[in-house]
Amino acid sequence: MLFSELYSVYYNTVAKIITSALSPGATEKDLQRCVAESAFSESVLTILPSLKSGKWPLLREDLSPCLTHVPTMPPTTLQLRWLKAISEDPRVKLFDVSFPSLDGVEPLFTREDYRIYDQYSDGDPFEDSSYIAHFRLILSAIRDGLPVQLTVTNRRGRQVRLRIFPTGLEYSLKDDKFRILSSGGHFRYVNLGRVLSCEISSSSPPPPEPQEERLADLTLLITDERNTLERAMIHFSHFERQAERREDGRYLLRLKYYESDETEVVIRVLSFGPTVRVLDPPHFVDLIRDRLIAQRNCGLK
Amino acid sequence: MAYSELIKNFEKIRAYMREFYVYGFKSRVEYDSKSARSYDDERRRLDSWLGDYLRFTQTPHGKTVFLSVDSRAIHRNPFYSALKAKSFTPGDLTLHFALFDILFTPSVKLTLPELVDRIDSLLSSRLVFDESTLRKKLREYVSEGIILTEKSGRRLLYSRAPDVDFSSLSDLLDFFSEAAPCGVVGSFLLDKLPPHRDIFSFKHHYITSAIDSEVLASLFSAIHEHRCITVDNFGRRSSPTTLSLVPLRVYISAQNGRQHLLAFHEKANRLNSYRIDFLSSVRIGEVCEKFDALRAALEKAETCMWGVIGRWNPKRAEHVEFELRIDPEEDYVLRRLEREKRCGRVERIDETHYRFLADVFDTSEMIPWIRTFLCRITRLNFSNRTVENRFKADLEEMYRLYGLPESSPLA
Repeated sequence: MLFSELYSVYYNTVAKIITSALSPGATEKDLQRCVAESAFSESVLTILPSLKSGKWPLLREDLSPCLTHVPTMPPTTLQLRWLKAISEDPRVKLFDVSFPSLDGVEPLFTREDYRIYDQYSDGDPFEDSSYIAHFRLILSAIRDGLPVQLTVTNRRGRQVRLRIFPTGLEYSLKDDKFRILSSGGHFRYVNLGRVLSCEISSSSPPPPEPQEERLADLTLLITDERNTLERAMIHFSHFERQAERREDGRYLLRLKYYESDETEVVIRVLSFGPTVRVLDPPHFVDLIRDRLIAQRNCGLK
Repeated sequence: MAYSELIKNFEKIRAYMREFYVYGFKSRVEYDSKSARSYDDERRRLDSWLGDYLRFTQTPHGKTVFLSVDSRAIHRNPFYSALKAKSFTPGDLTLHFALFDILFTPSVKLTLPELVDRIDSLLSSRLVFDESTLRKKLREYVSEGIILTEKSGRRLLYSRAPDVDFSSLSDLLDFFSEAAPCGVVGSFLLDKLPPHRDIFSFKHHYITSAIDSEVLASLFSAIHEHRCITVDNFGRRSSPTTLSLVPLRVYISAQNGRQHLLAFHEKANRLNSYRIDFLSSVRIGEVCEKFDALRAALEKAETCMWGVIGRWNPKRAEHVEFELRIDPEEDYVLRRLEREKRCGRVERIDETHYRFLADVFDTSEMIPWIRTFLCRITRLNFSNRTVENRFKADLEEMYRLYGLPESSPLA
């Protein structure tokens, strides 16, 4: 059973409260902090009052615990089955870890049980030993806050040397690729698959604050034919966005996209055809218009 | 009944989350199928679970509630919170903690009467559990795999399952809890680990499938065991239909986050696809003896599937051909064509023209992709003329919408 109280925020928070209460000198404030840090915003009205009142008789009146051990729970079969499924994923080789014994555990799913049918076919080589070594080195550089020296193949096929401060790794399921997020230097992103060599850089001045990536506003007018409303709302759902119904029965969708992804967003809007029209900003309208002008000149009959 | 931020049944909140996240323009009075109080309670719960992601706006029709998340800017799916809000009784919670406190290590093995006595003593009789209640809870925990039983003579002994240290897996769990199916299970494991730095972020990340995790996990269990299912399908109708199916494979879209089940509908003798967000209450039935044969037939059908529409007979596929102008310096377009195609092939016609050919069960599934090449399509040839004509009519409509004059060609 996936929707179970065993995995609930309340059970986890109560475990933290009891762990805290077992520490000598724990105060009510310490217990309150557990609720504030681990539970939902309204849980403060329930969890500690229920423990204090004896409705959940796990604490005594002086807030000392009735229990004698730090609360723990073994992993459930569901958790082990999921972990077994993950252990069979090719991307798992990127992580230099050994799994707990999962002998005799049936995977929750195998790669034969699902397809990501619209994923691009030129994903990163997750099982390539150089790629794995680069991934692990970048991961450790991020964790230790160290700069790295990279040799990469750029878009024109030339080799270039870069020095970056990696700050994170971004994965796209659609592209099936990792990008290194970096601060400092000229490159905000480096495709991990383009890295030819990679080493921790010797000198390590403190990394500069990463620049915020620029967001741009886009307003779309949606005509709900052929289920476009739902398709568009779902398709653009990973953006920060807001929808509004107009008096004429059509819908406005306002979203914020990353400027560096503008070409991709243009293509995605085009894919909806005439039922999604760009209203604003004017330069985005021009980008769509330019493509339509070029299309008209293709002589398609 | 007094309001609680916890819930017993996930289905109702699943529907609200979908409405608030996918659409988010309805006002309170438009949720007419549910009572106003129910609406207020669900909105309040979501506010408590999701905090800043739940937003409000005032429109002429009233206040509307919507969920908005830039999923690239977050490290963890906020919708997982909803799956961690299951309600319980005071007895459930008390018994859980008392039981694992007594069975604090796998070497402690006790009988049911011994456990009753120990729990009573631990709680100083502030809450008393009889043998029947405890037996029921133990049976539940045995099925969850967290309590083990063994016979010692005529006595049945209970002990805890071995604990596992997952702390070395934190990076792996951070990644797969977002990037793998049923990732919420990884999130449950992460909840047991101390706070640590989040290194991974996700682009093109569709988080809404989280709310379908329970259905998906049940489907995977059935598929893995080659079992038939009975399931309620809400579709777009107001009342659900109950289906008897042999689930064969789950199809996940990386480009819109939708999840479909491809299943054999025995009564209709058809290979059908079902949106998983419309499915509810999966009941797992008997083993299907012909599962392997059906799976093999599906694999054959996949050669003609662009999306999620499948047929048993590839002879029913439609032919799709289109040609593109790609200048020599635009090899990135050619690379796009190669990496984005899901079936079919690309042929070079001359130095600046290429042809894509495929046989697919449903040409209309390909149309959005073909439109992404607008600005360079020189020829279309679909065996399904209705779809081809609609494509061209749509194109004319786009010219009109963006104010392109009637006369052509344009500079």
